[in-house]
Amino acid sequence: MADLMLLGLFDNVETTADVIDDVRDLGVSDAQLEVLSNIPYPAKFFGLKTPGLMFWPFVFGGAILGALVAYFITFITPDLYPIHVGGQELTPVPPTAIMFFEFISLFSMLGAFIGFLLQNRFPILVREMYDELITDGYIGVQVQIEESVAEQVIGVFEKHHAHKINRELASEFKPQGIRHLFFWGAVAGGGLVVMLVPLLVSYEKIPLPWINKMNQTVVVGYQEGPRLAAPEEAVPFQGPRLIAGQPGTEPLEATESSIARGAALFQLHCAICHGETAQGDGPLSGYYTADHGFPVGVPALAGKGYPGSYIFEVVTNGRVGQTDDGTEFIKMPSLVENVSPGDTWDIINYINSLDAE
Amino acid sequence: MLESNAQRGPYWEQTTPEDERIAHQIEHGREEHLLLDPRPPAELNELALATMKKTGPAFWIAVLGLGSLSLIFALTWVTQIFNGVGITGLNRSVMWGPYIANLIYFIGIGHAGTFISAALRMMRMDFRRPIARAAETITLFGLAMAGLFPIIHVGRVWKLFYMIPIPNQRDLWPNFRSALFWDMSAITTYIIGSTLFMYIALIPDLAMARDHTDGWRRKLYGALSLGWRGTTGQWHKLEVVSNILSFVIIPVMFSVHTGVSWNLSMSVQPGWHSAIFGPFFVVGALYSGVAAVIIVMIFVRKVLKFGYFIRDEHFNAMGIFLFILMIAWVYFYFAEWITNWYGNLPPEVAIQEMLTGPLAPLFYLMLFANIIVPLVLVFKRVRTNLPAMLVICIFIQIGMYLERVIIVAGFLSRNELPFNWVDYVPQLPETIITIGTLATLGLLYLIWTRIVPIIPLWEVYEGQAMQSTRRVGRAVVSTRTDAH
Repeated sequence: MADLMLLGLFDNVETTADVIDDVRDLGVSDAQLEVLSNIPYPAKFFGLKTPGLMFWPFVFGGAILGALVAYFITFITPDLYPIHVGGQELTPVPPTAIMFFEFISLFSMLGAFIGFLLQNRFPILVREMYDELITDGYIGVQVQIEESVAEQVIGVFEKHHAHKINRELASEFKPQGIRHLFFWGAVAGGGLVVMLVPLLVSYEKIPLPWINKMNQTVVVGYQEGPRLAAPEEAVPFQGPRLIAGQPGTEPLEATESSIARGAALFQLHCAICHGETAQGDGPLSGYYTADHGFPVGVPALAGKGYPGSYIFEVVTNGRVGQTDDGTEFIKMPSLVENVSPGDTWDIINYINSLDAE
Repeated sequence: MLESNAQRGPYWEQTTPEDERIAHQIEHGREEHLLLDPRPPAELNELALATMKKTGPAFWIAVLGLGSLSLIFALTWVTQIFNGVGITGLNRSVMWGPYIANLIYFIGIGHAGTFISAALRMMRMDFRRPIARAAETITLFGLAMAGLFPIIHVGRVWKLFYMIPIPNQRDLWPNFRSALFWDMSAITTYIIGSTLFMYIALIPDLAMARDHTDGWRRKLYGALSLGWRGTTGQWHKLEVVSNILSFVIIPVMFSVHTGVSWNLSMSVQPGWHSAIFGPFFVVGALYSGVAAVIIVMIFVRKVLKFGYFIRDEHFNAMGIFLFILMIAWVYFYFAEWITNWYGNLPPEVAIQEMLTGPLAPLFYLMLFANIIVPLVLVFKRVRTNLPAMLVICIFIQIGMYLERVIIVAGFLSRNELPFNWVDYVPQLPETIITIGTLATLGLLYLIWTRIVPIIPLWEVYEGQAMQSTRRVGRAVVSTRTDAH
């Protein structure tokens, strides 16, 4: 039963290698030897076998995991909620290649790091034989031996002018075992809990009172942009366009299909303020205040005899209002970017069909 | 037989030969080269730790100054969050302004760090040894700052999680076909990889700090060094994992700035829609990044007083590197320019006319700072002159920053539709935020130098133990032991 730990400190590689040779001659096996240093001296400098290691399973395992994550992002998520954009397929090759590259790289690096931690059994949670002079450049030879050979090993250390010899009972050092696995298990568990909180906040399971001034944010001004009037010689090239100073012309006939299209477009562009049934009660209407006016409902329009071209002009240009003190605000945004003139006439036909009811 | 070449005694104790000419040459070599000038690790550890523990009045004044700038930055950001991005000078045509230019700039200066560590490590370049960590730190904090800018830029920060691959409340998933998502995954990969790479190389130095400090520092370093003892097995695994990470992180590094450039070039905006943008951005990033590393090296040598570690030879090597990158950058810029010029397409002509028209002062200043000023790097005397290097590198920072601003805000002001042409004028919020993030970077760096050894000591010791001199005829030349 090996029951003593000896640590001798030497100041150069040559002497250390001699010490190791001599200690081996006393019948000490390589498994009982450990060399500690502050420089990555290869084991062969001391005549020892290069310690084994096993990184490929970690790196490949990480790479496979990364490929699975990339597969999930590129093949599964477009399937869960398909959106067709830019004439691309749901899983086009070039972006898929980028995703596989990035996630395989990320997870293989994580795998290599985890391999480093696990193979070294980091973090070491027990006391180990050590001396602080090692980081000052001394090379430590740690030997675990039976009491009977202790004096001989100390003799070897002294013969080679050991700078310092530490001697302790082996029973004082508990084996590390799998303590580090419990540690990382606890870290992973804690990490999951910590990640859960932002997720719950994101899904508004934990509602946070968030104050912002979105209804009066300057961002609306940002949307206005530098648009100038179309040049004199400009020619509309996609159906009728609203030209400055001219009425919105070419109304569409109020056919059934036009009204149906208009209903769909109304839900998309108008209902958020004016309400799904055009009662002026959309989800955003609650944010309006009396001095800014509320969204108009269709009953308010009915019977007023507004011509289609008037509604066309409002939808296209929006409406600017004034508060009592004269500051201008956007009462209704311009939808010229969102709906084409044809769409606008569809919407007008839909509104008129509501009027008729 | 073994005895003939054996060196007894520690590597840092070298005997002076009797021949005077040889002794003189060895003495000269010690002055010139860090690796030929070994000193006891105990002494150098003390030197490194003394700097970490020193917090004099100058330090606190710097922390106060940078800290208040950072605080003003934070307050400005909060103001912008509540009021919307409209308070900046951004408008509909120039919807990407300094925020995106800053993103590119900060990722750019973060590029050189990992390049110096990983690529030069693979190539066994010894001059990287004392500067690797100072450079990696720029990568770490540069990326952290860069990571802030998309968040600052989107305005509605509370919708940030839309970029994380989880379904949002409407069951929508992030669109991986968007260049923004490619970029986000590249930056995430790079920042995680760089952090791991840096941390692994830090463990032995943290163990050193653990052994030579007490109080809270000892506890902190003890926890962070994970029980490192420096056994041959631990060292072997550290070497192998560093090599693996180096191999993986070099292509990732290229992908990061390529991803950033694709954010621009995947659109059909004239001036952006160019296949050369990826490599052009990578070279530009390395160029500004190496210049940033040199600035930090001057800081480490002059302010932290690490003249022993960072010597003229390192500035010389980095100066040559910088010069090569300058040539590469000029080549890419010219290739991009001449393609547009010869193509003579109206939208691209409009951009070139603007650069030599309203934006001419910025454009010519950029060319002057990026090309004319660094030309003096051909002289070794300039490369080893710190004030000159500082001036050149600051010029390159200005030049490369202007290059990004011109590409982002400048090019956007001239698009395919002339009635959408508009000029962009920076307003106060983005100016404060830009200066504030630079200050935050400085603050983080300053605090970092007080927490970790900014010189990778074990790499220096390794180099010194493996480097020696050999007599050839009447000359003394340095030899390197390749231990692998």
